[in-house]
Amino acid sequence: MSEPSKDGPPTPLSSSQPSQKSMTKAERRELQERQRAAKAAQKQQQGQGQGQASSSASSRSKAQGAPQKKSESGRPRASSSAAPTSSRDVGGAARDGSGGIDSEGPKTRGLRIFSHFGLPKTSGHQVKGDIHPAIIRLGLQFSEFKICGANARCIAMLTAFKTVIQDYTTPAHNTLSRHLMTYLSPQISHLVAARPMSVTMGNAIRQLKLEISGSDIDLPEQDAKDALCHIIDNYIRDRIIIADEVIEDLAVKKIKDGDVVMTYARSSLVEKILIRAHALNKRFSVIVLDSRPLLEGKTLLRTLTSTTPPISCTYALLPALPSLIKEVSVVLVGAHSLHTNGSVYSRAGTAMVAMLAKEHSVPVMVCCETYKFSESIMLDAFGKNELAPLKFSPPEAPKPHSNLEVLDPLYDSTPPTCITAVVTEVGLIPPTSISSIPLALGKTSL
Amino acid sequence: MASDPQMLANQRIVEDLASRLRRRQVVGSRQAALETLLVLRQVVSRARFSNVDQLVDVIRSVGRRLVDAQPKGRAHSFLYEYADFNHGSFITGTSEHSVGNTVRKVLHHIREEYHTATEGSTPAPAPTFSIAKFVSQGQPRKQQTVQKNDAAKVPLKENDPDDPDSFARTLKPVLMEAIQDVFDELETVYDNISKNAKDHIHSDEIILTLGKSKTVESFLKAAAHHRNYTVIVAETAPSFVFSSFHDHGLTRHFTRYGGREMAKSLSSAGISTFLVPDSSIYALMSRVNKVILGAHAILANGGMFATSGALLAATAARAYSTPVVVCAGQFKLTPLWNLYHEYGALDFGDPSSVLGFEEGDLVDKVDVVNPYYDYVQPELLDAFITNYGDHPPSSIYRLLKETYDDEDNEL
Amino acid sequence: MSDFEIFETYQRLLKNEELSTPLAAILALTEMIEQSRAGTMFELVKELKDGAEELNLKSPNPISLNAGCELFIEFITLFPHPSANFSELKTELIRQGQQYVVEALTYRKKIAELAFDFIKDDSVILTHSYSRVVMQTLLMAHRRKRISVFVTEARPRGLGIKTAEKLRAVGIPCSVVLDSAVAYAIDKVDFVLVGSEAVVESGGLINAVGSNQIAIIAKAANKPFYALAESYKFHRLFPLSQYDLPSHNPKLLSFTQPRPPGMSLKTQSNNASEVNPHQINQEQIAQNNPDVDYTRPDLISLVFSDVGSLTPEGVSQYLVGMFAG
Repeated sequence: MSEPSKDGPPTPLSSSQPSQKSMTKAERRELQERQRAAKAAQKQQQGQGQGQASSSASSRSKAQGAPQKKSESGRPRASSSAAPTSSRDVGGAARDGSGGIDSEGPKTRGLRIFSHFGLPKTSGHQVKGDIHPAIIRLGLQFSEFKICGANARCIAMLTAFKTVIQDYTTPAHNTLSRHLMTYLSPQISHLVAARPMSVTMGNAIRQLKLEISGSDIDLPEQDAKDALCHIIDNYIRDRIIIADEVIEDLAVKKIKDGDVVMTYARSSLVEKILIRAHALNKRFSVIVLDSRPLLEGKTLLRTLTSTTPPISCTYALLPALPSLIKEVSVVLVGAHSLHTNGSVYSRAGTAMVAMLAKEHSVPVMVCCETYKFSESIMLDAFGKNELAPLKFSPPEAPKPHSNLEVLDPLYDSTPPTCITAVVTEVGLIPPTSISSIPLALGKTSL
Repeated sequence: MASDPQMLANQRIVEDLASRLRRRQVVGSRQAALETLLVLRQVVSRARFSNVDQLVDVIRSVGRRLVDAQPKGRAHSFLYEYADFNHGSFITGTSEHSVGNTVRKVLHHIREEYHTATEGSTPAPAPTFSIAKFVSQGQPRKQQTVQKNDAAKVPLKENDPDDPDSFARTLKPVLMEAIQDVFDELETVYDNISKNAKDHIHSDEIILTLGKSKTVESFLKAAAHHRNYTVIVAETAPSFVFSSFHDHGLTRHFTRYGGREMAKSLSSAGISTFLVPDSSIYALMSRVNKVILGAHAILANGGMFATSGALLAATAARAYSTPVVVCAGQFKLTPLWNLYHEYGALDFGDPSSVLGFEEGDLVDKVDVVNPYYDYVQPELLDAFITNYGDHPPSSIYRLLKETYDDEDNEL
Repeated sequence: MSDFEIFETYQRLLKNEELSTPLAAILALTEMIEQSRAGTMFELVKELKDGAEELNLKSPNPISLNAGCELFIEFITLFPHPSANFSELKTELIRQGQQYVVEALTYRKKIAELAFDFIKDDSVILTHSYSRVVMQTLLMAHRRKRISVFVTEARPRGLGIKTAEKLRAVGIPCSVVLDSAVAYAIDKVDFVLVGSEAVVESGGLINAVGSNQIAIIAKAANKPFYALAESYKFHRLFPLSQYDLPSHNPKLLSFTQPRPPGMSLKTQSNNASEVNPHQINQEQIAQNNPDVDYTRPDLISLVFSDVGSLTPEGVSQYLVGMFAG
């Protein structure tokens, strides 16, 4: 069943009509799979996969129609299921496992359990449909991990959208407020096909959709488009750039002379905070912890040491954490997203840093803008995660074969008990109080 | 004392092993233990002694020499111990506790054999009772089966004037047998540990392990004969196989990620394996049924030294109430307490495997920390599976008392 | 019996600062043997037990004293006595007792050396109240390493101040911490070191009141908690809770009955009537509060003793070995 890597778009965020042709094709394909799976599912127990998937799906579907991300396989691989792998909605997990069975005999429980992670995407997937070149380029940058990080991706996406919007012309007999979104949907799904949507991107898109559907029908097209671009600029400025500055101000106050600050991997926000603190002539040193697969800490290291005078830094891999934690005064980490129950979804490894810091009474500060909030509850890093593409495995790593798979989950979930404070642009808050804020900000969601 | 040519011959073999240990040409704790045993066997067979204390002294000095020969890291003040790139010196090596343990074991056996040998021949002298003895040994007994030094001293001298060698002659074959026993134990350590593997791992379990440990490897492979299960291997920090000596100008080294070899080996044995970086240990822990680790050394309080990353895995397991099981041979039991209660990183590895020279300008401005070992507290461990049975961390102390003699704790 | 007054003997012996209560008890018992007119072992043991009982009743702090008595009596009971000559036996027993006490006085040094290995340079140590063995350890550590010490005040007796003064006298940087400020200070501390009145069968510790609190705080802050105890303080007691201790009585921590206002004015009319009938003074507080408390074994990291460094589980072994048939 070799497919081009991009199957139709996922159900779009808005309830407006999807682009008909691609949607139904995907639907038809899914129907076929479901039938096949139903037959095979009788053989295997997929109880846990289903139960977990369905409960998480129901909670999510109750939420504002959160973007469903289909993490799709690249070329079918000999080692795991040839069927396109999971979406994160109901039955995804079940389908995957059973889909795989037909192609190559019963998979072991282990390989099935992790199959909902989806296979890491390969780059260079085909372009389906009418995608704006800016988006194509962006998709490539995403899948190559050239643009990495929740903020960076969101800003890049919004900037690209501005171009798309400017180039857009409303077709006859249609209004901008209704048609633009459907025009944007395939663009969005192209990006998602490159890499699963980040919460930041999702929130921004939702806001954009709101603005688009609210745009004045009587406005001439160019004005409407300019207005939208202006709104996008404001969003970037207010929710990201200025928010970051406020967060820097707040966080910098917590860094005192003589402190040893520990951070993990690379967060753009933490980087800014440290540079600002240094510019304020605070005397502190930094420990950068890092880990495969992305080894982003090295980038942070470079930035920090290129200040004058250079910030004194120590670099170590994650297993060295216990040796270093005793000297640390405060741990500063970034986040990909924050959830209603207070858990922080961020780079894999952050949970362990927070856990060990808590054991040694070292305060853990998570720096996070409010636009990163997500209404879902995250119980553990298992329900939602993303795997790094194999290109990040070093060359001497073993090649996958029938018994061996290499998994590089990119994210994990830190429980709220390990976090001391979340620094947002509205102030320092305990992690569990997050749910009261989006409403205060007037963020409408259901 | 033993005569000079004996001493020289002894010295030679001891020095040979000592220098190989220093250059890390002996890889693995079991290997170190076996080699030490070989040396001890030679020393005992050639030794001339007229009472047991002399023999004990000889062996002790050999032991001291071997233990001291091992390289130890420079690190003591934690904050920034690292390799000084500018001066190009590297911190080398790790200390193998199994060397000292083997010496202690041999000493224990020697004393045991001696006591059994002398039991019938000389009448037990009037045992000295005292409250102090009572406190440390239990009730005063008419017949003290286990006599410590003071009482044992008396019969020895009686051998001296008659025939200085008779003592050694009668005792040696027994001692060689005892040493052979220790050998056999070392040879069969993996088999014995793996004997009950199938009782510890159940069908369809997901096991997490870390890095490479031969003991764990054979354990898992043995269980795989009977059960179908999955293993997640965390590849853990880079570690060295050979290290370089700056003054010798040798630069033979390569970085080894133990976890990758382990994954390869397990998967080729038919076990379905996942290789993950250690950053995802916590993320995956919610699905893991058991964590199985290897140990470098088991300490007297029930804690252990293990490969760097083990503490992270054990802490994450504790957060999910997942049992942590340690597979280790009894030759790894070390009568040491983790002094300073610090993480056992007295040894650090070469930083260039963490931040290589290809990073160019970074290397001058940044300190790199790359410890070899973690100290894992006994509270995080649930069981030790050894070749002589399974023990909870709280019984390790008792086990140590049975395996070694107190006076050998400091060689 | 005799006109041998054991309690007076005991108090006399206690005047020697070096002797701790169990050792004084053992010496008192040996003197009792000397004076004893018992003719058989059975009678002798009975006498000793009565003597120990009397000491228990009269002493304000009987637990460690009891440990010493039980140790001695147990030793005597299990002592093999081949000789028919009873007086020879008595002499032997007395000799044993005295010899042990002499040896036991060296235990503090032994323990100090053991504990010394766990103290690294620049350690910050927290200790509680006053303990001779802790003092000896700290002094020894100070000679070879740099340490600084927090001492709790240890109300109501305020013995912690005595410790601080002695430490200061030799130049060890120290600071007196309020009992209520231990949680505040704990993050600055590397580990906690306390002495002991007794170490019990469960592996737990009986020590001056406040030790349990400190142990709980140390556990919460993930700091090691070490207890120093000579082996004669090992006691075959198994308290199930604080209120199961022999030192506990129902009057402790009781709620005082408030006196009805009318009555007080009349009865205290001769006293200065401005005395507030509800006033509480320090003496009352001290009497209403316990002197010792019980620390659970899971809060203790290690017990350092002359028989070695023991985990709390290891303590049980010794106790069972000592007293179980």
